[in-house]
Amino acid sequence: MNRYGLKEKIELRINHATHHIEVDVRDTLLDALRDQLGLTGTKRGCDMGECGACTVLMDGKPINSCMLLAVDVMGRNIMTIEGLAQDELHPIQQAFVENGAVQCGFCTPGMILTAKAFLDHCSNPTDDDVRQAISGNLCRCTGYRKIVEAILDAASRLRRGKRHV
Amino acid sequence: MSSWPSAQEAKVLGKRVTRLSGVDKVTGRAKYTYDIRLPGLLYGKILRCPYASAKILSVDTSKAEALPGVRAVVVVDENKTCRFVGDEVAAVAATSTDIAEDAIRLIEVEYDIGNYVVDEQTSMKPGAPKVHEDRENVRPGGVNEQGSIDDAFAEAAVTLEATYSTQVQTHMCLETHGHVVEWDGESMTVWASTQAVFGVRGSLADHFELPADQVRVITEHMGGGFGSKFGPGVEGVLAARLAKEAEAPVKLMLDRKEEFLAVGNRPSAIAEIRAAASKDGRLLAMDMKTYGTGGASGGAGFPLPYVYTVNNRRRQHSDVFINAGNARAMRAPGHPQASFIMESMMDELAYELGMDPLEFRRRNDPNEVRQGQYTVGAREIGWHRRNRNPREMKGTLRRGIGMGCGLWGGGGGKGTQARCTIHSDGTVEVVTGTQDLGTGIRTAIAIVAAEGLGLAPEQIHVRIGDSQPGLPSGGSGGSTTTASVTPVIKTAVDKARVQLLQWVAEEMEVEATALTVGDGKIFLADDLSRNLSWKEATSLLGTDMIVTEGEWDSNLRQSGVAGVQFAEVEVDLQTGQIQPIRIVAVQDCGLVVNRLTAESQVYSGVIQGLSWALLEDRIMDPSTGLMINPDMEYYKVTGSLDMPDIQVIMYDTHRKVTGLGEPPVIPTAGAIANAVFNATGLRFRSIPITPDKVLTAYKEANA
Amino acid sequence: MKTFEYITPETIDEALELLGEGAQILAGGTDLLGEMKRGLATPKRLINLKGIQGLADIRSIPDGFLTIGSLATLSHLAEHPLVAQHYPLLIEALQRTASPQIRNIATVGGNLCQRPRCWYYRHSAFPCIRKHGEGCFAMGGQDRYHAIFGGHRCFIVHPSDLAPALMALDAEVRIAHADDSRIVPLTDFFVGPRDSLTQENILTRQEILTAIRIPVPPDNAYGTYLKVSERKATDFALASVAVSIAWLDTQVTHARVVLGGVAPVPWRVKQVEEMLIGDELSGKRIERACERAVDDATPLRHNRYKVALVKGLLRKALHAAHRSREKGEK
Repeated sequence: MNRYGLKEKIELRINHATHHIEVDVRDTLLDALRDQLGLTGTKRGCDMGECGACTVLMDGKPINSCMLLAVDVMGRNIMTIEGLAQDELHPIQQAFVENGAVQCGFCTPGMILTAKAFLDHCSNPTDDDVRQAISGNLCRCTGYRKIVEAILDAASRLRRGKRHV
Repeated sequence: MSSWPSAQEAKVLGKRVTRLSGVDKVTGRAKYTYDIRLPGLLYGKILRCPYASAKILSVDTSKAEALPGVRAVVVVDENKTCRFVGDEVAAVAATSTDIAEDAIRLIEVEYDIGNYVVDEQTSMKPGAPKVHEDRENVRPGGVNEQGSIDDAFAEAAVTLEATYSTQVQTHMCLETHGHVVEWDGESMTVWASTQAVFGVRGSLADHFELPADQVRVITEHMGGGFGSKFGPGVEGVLAARLAKEAEAPVKLMLDRKEEFLAVGNRPSAIAEIRAAASKDGRLLAMDMKTYGTGGASGGAGFPLPYVYTVNNRRRQHSDVFINAGNARAMRAPGHPQASFIMESMMDELAYELGMDPLEFRRRNDPNEVRQGQYTVGAREIGWHRRNRNPREMKGTLRRGIGMGCGLWGGGGGKGTQARCTIHSDGTVEVVTGTQDLGTGIRTAIAIVAAEGLGLAPEQIHVRIGDSQPGLPSGGSGGSTTTASVTPVIKTAVDKARVQLLQWVAEEMEVEATALTVGDGKIFLADDLSRNLSWKEATSLLGTDMIVTEGEWDSNLRQSGVAGVQFAEVEVDLQTGQIQPIRIVAVQDCGLVVNRLTAESQVYSGVIQGLSWALLEDRIMDPSTGLMINPDMEYYKVTGSLDMPDIQVIMYDTHRKVTGLGEPPVIPTAGAIANAVFNATGLRFRSIPITPDKVLTAYKEANA
Repeated sequence: MKTFEYITPETIDEALELLGEGAQILAGGTDLLGEMKRGLATPKRLINLKGIQGLADIRSIPDGFLTIGSLATLSHLAEHPLVAQHYPLLIEALQRTASPQIRNIATVGGNLCQRPRCWYYRHSAFPCIRKHGEGCFAMGGQDRYHAIFGGHRCFIVHPSDLAPALMALDAEVRIAHADDSRIVPLTDFFVGPRDSLTQENILTRQEILTAIRIPVPPDNAYGTYLKVSERKATDFALASVAVSIAWLDTQVTHARVVLGGVAPVPWRVKQVEEMLIGDELSGKRIERACERAVDDATPLRHNRYKVALVKGLLRKALHAAHRSREKGEK
């Protein structure tokens, strides 16, 4: 037995793929994603559930990956920013780029995933709805305005996309 | 002497260009220092002093070294005197962060604990505990005097005596400070979250007594600096020492708490002012005693009087030392403090005079740009809707309007080297040693190069954030990056274009001066049908290539950036909540290189100013010397729901580049506080204006 | 974070069996992990309840109660159709709780059992009485976020938004113990500093909170939750008020008034409830109720503003209730 914490072999479902990794029981999902799996698109901002930079989707809902133990998410479907874009950018990503919603970019992956979960359930949001949805994601650079505009723009892109299908 | 193309001529310059790094950032592919992973990477952690004042007597690292997984332990200085909670004592590198943390706890330090003081008022008292044994807590500056205070007061129609103050603000960059260091013999590669790639290189080379070219510093992307990330800091040196000792790469990123304690802040500012104004609205005199704290050894200067003309003035400023983390430059150092103090005072004098506060400012403001901005801003906010008698308003939900001003330099300077290379396959490479903090300089460089070569910005390969090419550029501070870097890029690109046109001229058998570039082609200016595509043109180079270097041209840039902001707020006197409704920011910006990112800077400044005005505060505990709120829960910054409607008006006054990162943060707090007064008749002379202060003041006013 | 043994029982009985010295329950973990990261909690054994079947269910049961499994997440509760139908007050409280991300992990049970957010308590370097240390640093220190009611040697406030709302709805909690289970009114669940300086509720080391039950509110009931925080989201209340009121014609027949963020426990003001019942909700009566609510406030040095704040919030809530009744009449 290792005196620095029990190691545990776990199975994680991330971005539709199954990963077998060995974690320390103390590792958070964020630790596992970044340090074990190299999915560094998920950012560590505060490590206390305050800033939202580490947001990933768990079964489609945004959560702070710093506030869940890795051993606690076995069997759940996790999506990180790396799993959002396939061959081309997701409409939300496209809208973030085109609307200038990205500045230093450190809050961006978390912001986009929060927006993704939100727009999955709300296709025609108001400005206020968007601001509520991202109220757990801090940004120190942009002043939020262009982020809100990007998410509203993404909503309309997604609506148009649906109509064409 | 070079000049920028006119608005009519410009193809991409001044347009809305999406940032080059946008796709990498939205997909999570962008690698920040925090994201660097290397084989055999170790994790560093710093032991910090738990006392506000303590002399280190001994450090025993043996237990930490014996812990399995620990690869290196270094001590900062065995004889160090620590002057604030969080001062660095030692550091550990281990195979995991958890082990490094365990090891830190095993380091035994014997301290001689001293007395301490963590607030300015106590520190200034006689007999207060001394922060430094060999100097006083108060470092008084000389008295600056001009005109005659007494004469001015004698002829004043109104006078005012008041103390204004602003609190310590921390940078709170989303990416914490940190480095990854890897040695290869006597050379090191450093990934740094920094605003100054070459600054970090120079400091580390000095520290380890290495030739500068044996230190390579890389900052591809970084998560915010706001003035706090100019050098490696103690933490960067420790990372390098650990990596050397462990003979393995070390990543040492600070955690959020360390970030609040030890890597900088905006100093506090306190101003005791006597001011006088004449009946016709002239600001006659200011008699000022000012001070502030930049922590244990930082300065706390700020300009005052600010912006307005005051012929009779006297000021003495003192820096006050306390046992707290040191100040570092923070977004427009000194200016937001000065603006809040000055604008609050101006507002008070105007109301005392019974004069429109805007008119009072107009009469005392020598800046022509701002005179124009006043008109635009007042119209957009609806200045006429303001309350004429703020103290007589009724009801518990009240709205009001206020304003504030700012001034910044932003003209940049020499010191950047850049290279433009055109390859025969058409590739254009622009290289310089600046870094992109998120401001968008990478894209601005591409825009300038694209404009000069008739290409699109995404066709330019911009290589920045790396000291390896040996093309230095200054730190990104003082809003100087655009004005320092883009003129050099432009001159380099212009030279490269001239050379390319000569190749083409020979091929087309025309004069080079008859040729022009645009839309990815080289044209004969008089006969557009005679052209070569960019690729055809560059293929003429054969095995050759065009390599040019640029030089800074002061004619391409201008210093002096004026700004005015108007704020409308709603104050709920039952709950003490202040809801900013709308902010109009009229911002002087010279030649806008990229309208998309320029606007974003203004939104950003406004939000940070708002956050400082209403929320942020470093709170120290006098009894223990600890910072009480070193976390994002209690050090509060604005979120999406706190944001008002913000209208950004880019007030383009000339066709020369200038800086924009800092100026928009300056006027906001004053505008907010003045709007709160206009709404409620309650004057808040210190910030942040939190609900407890509003409710307390309202109660006192109605007692 | 110190290491620990991590166990996932599949039944409550198994979980109860695992309890004991050094063991701690892991529900959502948003509070506990924060405590562990700061070194405030150092469990030797972590018992994760998420694997227990049915513990996260939200159901209406025939006797008219809504039963919420203690492991139900806050967002699950906020989105539940029965909640929208009968308890809009709860939705208001939930929407003001933490952030969307936290609400997707944090559980109802965990929310009720969360530890204080006092900045001295949360700061690992202050050895305060609630951490088995000495004294209260807020006394004579930075006390602006602290209690104006019910403090005694310790001046924490109960941070939950949900708890005052549930209490205003007469909620009860079900507590499992190896020998038997008990049902306790939420009003009796919380423990102030006069009863314990280290514990904020009645749960013993051998017990687990398994469910929360809420009766169907009386006919014509109106409920609202109002909260003031410095930041609009992701911030704890400076003060909050949960009000549930029912009428017969114009006469108030039922009233619950519970304050949050101002006392070590969700602070039910019975004296206000009593004075509201049996009369109309006139402006004058509302003013008297507001005064009455803060009768026994004992502010510290920097938190006297909370007295005005409580009055302001209660006034808003009662006026909203009054307006809603008038609207109902039309």
